[in-house]
Amino acid sequence: MTPRDADTVTLRLHRTLYPEAAIAEAATTFEGLASFAIRTDGEHYVVDVSAIARDVGGDVVAEFCNFALANSARRRRGAHA
Amino acid sequence: MSHVHIETLDQSSATLTLSLDVSLYPRDVLYAAAYVFLDRAYVLLDRQDARFVVRFRSKRPLDEAGFRAFAGEFENELLAQALRHRVVDANQRIIEDVVAVAIAGAAAGVDPGPGSTAAHPPFIDPKDPDDGFLDDPLEIARPFEPGKQGTE
Repeated sequence: MTPRDADTVTLRLHRTLYPEAAIAEAATTFEGLASFAIRTDGEHYVVDVSAIARDVGGDVVAEFCNFALANSARRRRGAHA
Repeated sequence: MSHVHIETLDQSSATLTLSLDVSLYPRDVLYAAAYVFLDRAYVLLDRQDARFVVRFRSKRPLDEAGFRAFAGEFENELLAQALRHRVVDANQRIIEDVVAVAIAGAAAGVDPGPGSTAAHPPFIDPKDPDDGFLDDPLEIARPFEPGKQGTE
């Protein structure tokens, strides 16, 4: 997780561990709290998180990461069922 | 020797970074173990060459002993999930057979329609008013509260 400036954080999520659909689903969940731009860079998806709401409790970016991980795990389990 | 290596441990930022060999734990096991910790920590997975890297940021303050215990719990969870994964794999055929029998049993009361190859007729004939639960001679289905008994 890399803060680029006061309002933008860049995340690098490995493509073998985080499917793009799982990241997009998490972005949709948090769309009212920040803006997300997803792009590919080598083995990673790079997520630029901007316009992060500061008036909410908790860490929006870290919660987004947890959601992306949970979505990835659920999708993987669903694919096996 | 532990299979999970503590890469960094920083109490001031409440972060712990672990790494583990990708050949020891399948990705499904890593997901399942990490999932268990989502309520206690922010978790970020990564991969560097032949190692998975797991970064935790605890949601509450922990001292060094707490972080080391956290790492131990994660390793235990990896082992538990690896065993669970193995048991599921070994019993996959049995699980599928049990589910198939349960679904077939539940579907027995449904009209299979023409051309069906169902092995036996439905247990209850929904077209026969004297068959099954529609007949209630003991008034079991009748409410016993005074205001809800109806007029019948």
